[in-house]
Amino acid sequence: MGFHEPHSIGQSGSDLGTLFAMPIVVLGLSHHSSPVAIRERFAFGEARVPAALQLLRDSGVAEEAVILSTCNRVEIYAVSSAEPRAAFDSLRDFLVRCHDYRDPLTDEIYGLSEPQSIHHLFKVAAGLDSMVLGETEILGQLKKAYELALQHGHTGSRLNKVFQRAFNAAKQIRTETRIQRGSVSVGSVAVELAEKIFSALSEREVMIIGAGDTSEKTARALLSRGARSILVSNRSHEKAVTLANDLGGRAVLFEDWGKEFSKVDIVISSTSAPHYILDRVKLEPLMKSRRNRPLLLIDIAVPRDIEPEVNFMENVYLYNIDDLQAIADDYLKQRKEEIQRCEQIIREKAEALLGSHRERSDPGQVRPAFGHK
Amino acid sequence: MVTWFTDRHVFLLAVAVYGVSVIYSVFLWRKGFRQDNRVNYFLLLLAAALHTTAMVRRGFRLDHCPVTNLYEATIFIGWTIVAVYLAVGLWPRLRFLGAFASPVLFGIGVFALMPGLDETHSARPELTGMWTSLHAALMSLAYGAFGLSSAAALMYLTQERNLKFHRLKAIFSLLPPIQRLEVIVGRLLLAGFILLTLGLAAGAIDLTRLNNPQAYRGDPKIIWSALVWLIYLGLVLMRWKFAQGGRRFALGAIGTFVFVLLTFWGVNLLSPLHNP
Repeated sequence: MGFHEPHSIGQSGSDLGTLFAMPIVVLGLSHHSSPVAIRERFAFGEARVPAALQLLRDSGVAEEAVILSTCNRVEIYAVSSAEPRAAFDSLRDFLVRCHDYRDPLTDEIYGLSEPQSIHHLFKVAAGLDSMVLGETEILGQLKKAYELALQHGHTGSRLNKVFQRAFNAAKQIRTETRIQRGSVSVGSVAVELAEKIFSALSEREVMIIGAGDTSEKTARALLSRGARSILVSNRSHEKAVTLANDLGGRAVLFEDWGKEFSKVDIVISSTSAPHYILDRVKLEPLMKSRRNRPLLLIDIAVPRDIEPEVNFMENVYLYNIDDLQAIADDYLKQRKEEIQRCEQIIREKAEALLGSHRERSDPGQVRPAFGHK
Repeated sequence: MVTWFTDRHVFLLAVAVYGVSVIYSVFLWRKGFRQDNRVNYFLLLLAAALHTTAMVRRGFRLDHCPVTNLYEATIFIGWTIVAVYLAVGLWPRLRFLGAFASPVLFGIGVFALMPGLDETHSARPELTGMWTSLHAALMSLAYGAFGLSSAAALMYLTQERNLKFHRLKAIFSLLPPIQRLEVIVGRLLLAGFILLTLGLAAGAIDLTRLNNPQAYRGDPKIIWSALVWLIYLGLVLMRWKFAQGGRRFALGAIGTFVFVLLTFWGVNLLSPLHNP
């Protein structure tokens, strides 16, 4: 097993010391260390977690424990009386036995002890260790995992304190930095654009012309933010019906999509047509039928489905895949620029946490953590 | 009472604060409206308080509504613009209107303070009283609404340009969605048109008190007012009957108000009815 520290913040642990006599350790796998084919073998369903925590504590491996299992990571945060190296071995064995995993492992599983385990927890809570930098879903998942462990009595004063501090750190990072700002996927950029054009998404109707993965994701993103309904039109009407049923919308024959235009506010186009399916000549009478209400056109197709000239028509806003990706890339760049600031906040929070405990405890009783002299 | 510190000095202070608001608005514009501009709102609130004080003092001194000369009419128009902004600015999403209203307010204030506008002249004795005051007040409110409409139209054009040219600040900025801005432009313009119609009607009623009202058919200000009314009618029809909103409507709102600003005072001076 490799004790690698995927994202060391660079602070030597020796000057921070330990939080407690029994340090907090973390052991697990993430998208950084292992492919999904291995991660999914170690995933815990929510219903299984309380029993797994009970088993972990009954075996004497951990005094306190929280299990975090998401699509991108499986991690056990534990307070153990054993030396960190021994704790890692026990936790690894527990994980492997729990899932009856018999295949060889190399460095898919990582282990961290203090202070890196605390830094790691704070980073995970703030979304800095996520596949999409700065994503916010992980904080909710972490809170849920902690609540579950707390409800079943598997946490104590140590993990309670550290997790609360992690949530505070995530909140501070969210309010003081831009790490969570903006959208980094094409679908969510499209939603932000729609919200800058239309007063209320709940009154907007969306049409998908052609059925593709990105257009489906974009439509789902719009629906999740309250778009009223979806019309789907595809050369293959069966595909249109399947996708429409999946999205809770209605299928329209490909020849008839123009007839539905008067009701539509957002169009996502991704056909495989070699020519433009919508140009200025076609759009002008359609805009009249819509009484020139604002129209957002998202052209995801390559070659493009919509003539670029239409962008200069009154109340028409056309974005192609490159435009959306450029916005998403700009947001990602902004988030990356915030990493240093976030890490500074995490360092300060961790130091405050470790420092406050050091003042209260007798320095002579502190046992050095793993890897420290 | 301190007689050297007149209502004009109080208004001068108000204009100075409008000027500070303009500078701050430039800063907000350059930042792409990424921050909530409560600071600008409070600057305009302070300026409005000074502005109101100046008008109230003038009103008490004259013992009637202070719209008897160009200076007073000008500052009244400015007052209606800032008053309407402060009301709509209570909604955070509309607060950015202030960044566009403050240059208009500063410009109007500077113009009003120019020498020669604040001259006391005896009004026609037949044209004093309720209908005259009502006419002047309604017209000032109408132009105030048109002024705010054009400020909102400027916001619309700014955001529309950012969206058309795929600029990141279209998303970053806290400006309201353009559909909402279009509605605001339309509603303010419609409110101004209704007030203008009522103001002209009050003026027409007031005219009947003169001995020979037909003699004033060719009065420059009356002809100009009719022209302005027709232009705004055209914009209203364009928007609601022919569904021509968007950029053209915004440009129409701005262009018409600029025309009003540039010609109002000159036409007023040429009018024997308004400037005897």
